[in-house]
Amino acid sequence: MKSEKFQKTFFLTKFSFKRDWLKLSIWSVVLIGLFVGVAAKFNGLYGSKAAIDQIIKTLKSPAMVSLFGKMPNGPYTSADVFASEMTVFMAIIAAIMNYYFIIHNTRGEEESGILEMIQAHAVGRLSNLTAALLESFILNFGIGLIYAVGLQFANLTGTNANGNFLLGLGLGAVGFMFASIAAVIAQLTDNSRTATILSYLVFGIMYIGRMITDVSHPKYTWFIPMGWVEKLSTYKNNNWIPVFMMLGLSVILVTLAFYLNSHRDIGSGLIATRPGRAKASAFLRGPISLFWRLNRVSIIVWFLGIMILGATYGSVFNTIGDILKTNPMLKQLLNTKAINAANVLIIKEFIAILMIVFAALALIPGLSLINYLKTGETKGYLEIIHSTRTSRTKLYFSLFGIATITSIAVLFAGIYGLYAGGNAVMNHHIAMSVFMRGFYGYLSPLLVMLGISAFLIGWLPKLTSLNYGYLVLAFFVQYFGKLLKLPDWTEKITPFGFIKHVPVSNFDVATFWWQIAIAVILVIIGYIGYRRRDLIIN
Amino acid sequence: MLNTNIPTLHVDHLQKNFGKFQALKNITFDIYPGEVFGFIGPNGAGKSTTIRTILGILRASGGKATIFGKDVFKDAVDIHKRIAYVPGDVYLWPNLTGGEIIDLLLKLGHSHHTRRTSQLIELFQLDPTKKARTYSKGNRQKVALIAAFSTDADFYIFDEPTSGLDPLNEEVFQNEVLKLKEAGKSVLLSSHILSEVEKMCDRIGIIKNGEVVETGSLDEMRHLTRTVIKVKTQLPTPELETLPGVHNAVMGNNQTLTLSVDSEYLENTMSYLSQKQIISIQATPPTLEDLFMRYYGSTNEVDRREK
Ligand SMILES: Nc1ncnc2c1ncn2[C@@H]1O[C@H](COP(=O)(O)OP(=O)(O)OP(=O)(O)O)[C@@H](O)[C@H]1O
Ligand SMILES: [Mg+2]
Repeated sequence: MKSEKFQKTFFLTKFSFKRDWLKLSIWSVVLIGLFVGVAAKFNGLYGSKAAIDQIIKTLKSPAMVSLFGKMPNGPYTSADVFASEMTVFMAIIAAIMNYYFIIHNTRGEEESGILEMIQAHAVGRLSNLTAALLESFILNFGIGLIYAVGLQFANLTGTNANGNFLLGLGLGAVGFMFASIAAVIAQLTDNSRTATILSYLVFGIMYIGRMITDVSHPKYTWFIPMGWVEKLSTYKNNNWIPVFMMLGLSVILVTLAFYLNSHRDIGSGLIATRPGRAKASAFLRGPISLFWRLNRVSIIVWFLGIMILGATYGSVFNTIGDILKTNPMLKQLLNTKAINAANVLIIKEFIAILMIVFAALALIPGLSLINYLKTGETKGYLEIIHSTRTSRTKLYFSLFGIATITSIAVLFAGIYGLYAGGNAVMNHHIAMSVFMRGFYGYLSPLLVMLGISAFLIGWLPKLTSLNYGYLVLAFFVQYFGKLLKLPDWTEKITPFGFIKHVPVSNFDVATFWWQIAIAVILVIIGYIGYRRRDLIIN
Repeated sequence: MLNTNIPTLHVDHLQKNFGKFQALKNITFDIYPGEVFGFIGPNGAGKSTTIRTILGILRASGGKATIFGKDVFKDAVDIHKRIAYVPGDVYLWPNLTGGEIIDLLLKLGHSHHTRRTSQLIELFQLDPTKKARTYSKGNRQKVALIAAFSTDADFYIFDEPTSGLDPLNEEVFQNEVLKLKEAGKSVLLSSHILSEVEKMCDRIGIIKNGEVVETGSLDEMRHLTRTVIKVKTQLPTPELETLPGVHNAVMGNNQTLTLSVDSEYLENTMSYLSQKQIISIQATPPTLEDLFMRYYGSTNEVDRREK
């Protein structure tokens, strides 16, 4: 009985690897390259005691704790700095990767009807789900092992084999934990879009939870599964318990996913699709309202989600912006006014770092909306629209318009969240105009990024996902550039690098206009290409 | 037939390449007002590609195509104001209901939900409150068909519209097409269901490997092909096999001979048979199926005919 349910699992797993090999290789190469590459640089970057002390001071500030997690107690070596800078970040990327593969290979296959074809053969009920989980297990622990071996070779000062394997396999375990979360959620909904949104919602809640507890009461971080990866205490205590906790939770979740899967019909979820209206509302009447209607749930979720994230970051402003906490001596040296000014400056510095986070998050829905011109085209949804009197011009600019508005609105939501959250906890309020400087500053790079997507749609529709890669690169350079002491020119390879440190410095009008000009040119060139090319179907 | 001299659709030596692959080599045909034109051919012959090119979704690599006298690519928007299209694979946004999609498609064509729309929903027995995600293939096709039929267009294009419909709905479809025809509209109907094409189409185009190999009415085409004859004669017919234009002569039970004859040799064959004292004879005109098999079959057969 038992084995019947799992018939042909290994065959399907092998098949998945064959089918996904390109994507799997790209993800693995990027992750391993990033992790091991950074590790290899670290002895040089943070070899000396002075350099370590310097960076530790930064990493211990509440602002950095909210981004990277809580530092263990000193003394510190290069290896400790590496572990604290990289652990949370790599866990986030692992979540994205696992969500993608699991949802695509389970609910996605089911939705497209492929699973139905497979299931008609002598294949067990649970085989496909098991195969997807096995694939992700091998992927995560494969990458984890290579991380560990890479760390052995990088030979950072202060490392030991136990710690190297703990960190590598710990990251593997957190990745697989996210895979099993997605596996459960994929059973609940009956389509992959909703499954993805819900999975990220769970991720977002855990992320915010770990951030708040890290800044205020680190021991509560134990209550948040995503926070377990921070408790590895790599190279200090080398605590393996979190790894087993993550594996334990994964086993529970996988069992739950199996249970749910065997108690539902193929193609359906536990959350059933309800019937809707028999006629379209007066509002649904053209491309813009259609794209809004199709995406409103994800746009609203994203908007509110980012606002809450902003408010959460804002709510730690009082801890961050309290210079006296880290340096009580200053009370004697400076008057209250000067201390306030110093506090505000720290907060502004923090906002400047957060700006890149919000800009990147704001771009995700925008890029995905513009790319619908291509995905909707290949999946066949737009064919019937193209046969109506709706012109290509209208489609192109409608989608570009709605994407731009969405991205700008989400950026604003993040900043407004920061403002509201920050001022709720601080005695000395920071004016909205200060926050708005950050907002204005990031408008132009946002538009350049959207323009690049529009250009790709027109001329290189097969390569539209390149822009996500570019965004990740931009994020990485801006976020880690200083910590990894990347050379200055790396900043200038993306439009974000030209933005002065807003809101610490003022919004630069000249940069704004030349970037807008580039964006406009890209959109126009893209339009010319889009108007004259074949539409892609299947 | 309401044949005026200005064709609704005019396709002249149309070509389309995908990279090196030549999907359309030479597509030439016209469709006139009041005419239902059947478009048949084997899988991958280029039917859908032709349709997408005349819709301006694909850009032709060579040749010319006009609808209402306008260029299909440059004036696509203008043309689309007066056409309705149902694609071969209907993809609907999973989170909208059928009713919403029908209305949206109508509004995109600047028309709206009328009594006729509700009537069609009734006729096709579609539940418009269901989300498209939950529709079966036939139901998805119905959504697109209802939107198309309730549009007041001059030219209707259907790419295998009935492949998912049950016989009842197929009949509804056929009735609606006949109404369009009576109203003087033009219809392009690509289909693999030969009985449907035979029943409804005034003229037929056969496409193979990216070329239109034959166009004409079914009657005209019959002349190009063989008639099947079942005959019983008093005297033996040993020379029959060697007569020009006679194929596949087989002796069945009770002395009945079945043979097919090229149309141009029909007279010749008949006079030979009448010398052998015919007891009974039965001639079946070729069905579209026979015609079709001839063109669909090996290339050799077409070559042989051309010789
Ligand atoms: N975008 C494309 N890129 C490359 N080749 C294509 C593309 N679209 C169609 N083709 C090829 O062009 C040929 C004609 O395809 P088309 O879809 O027009 O056939 P069809 O006659 O509609 O077939 P069916 O009866 O199966 O619907 C096929 O060989 C197909 O593989
Ligand atoms: Mg086709």
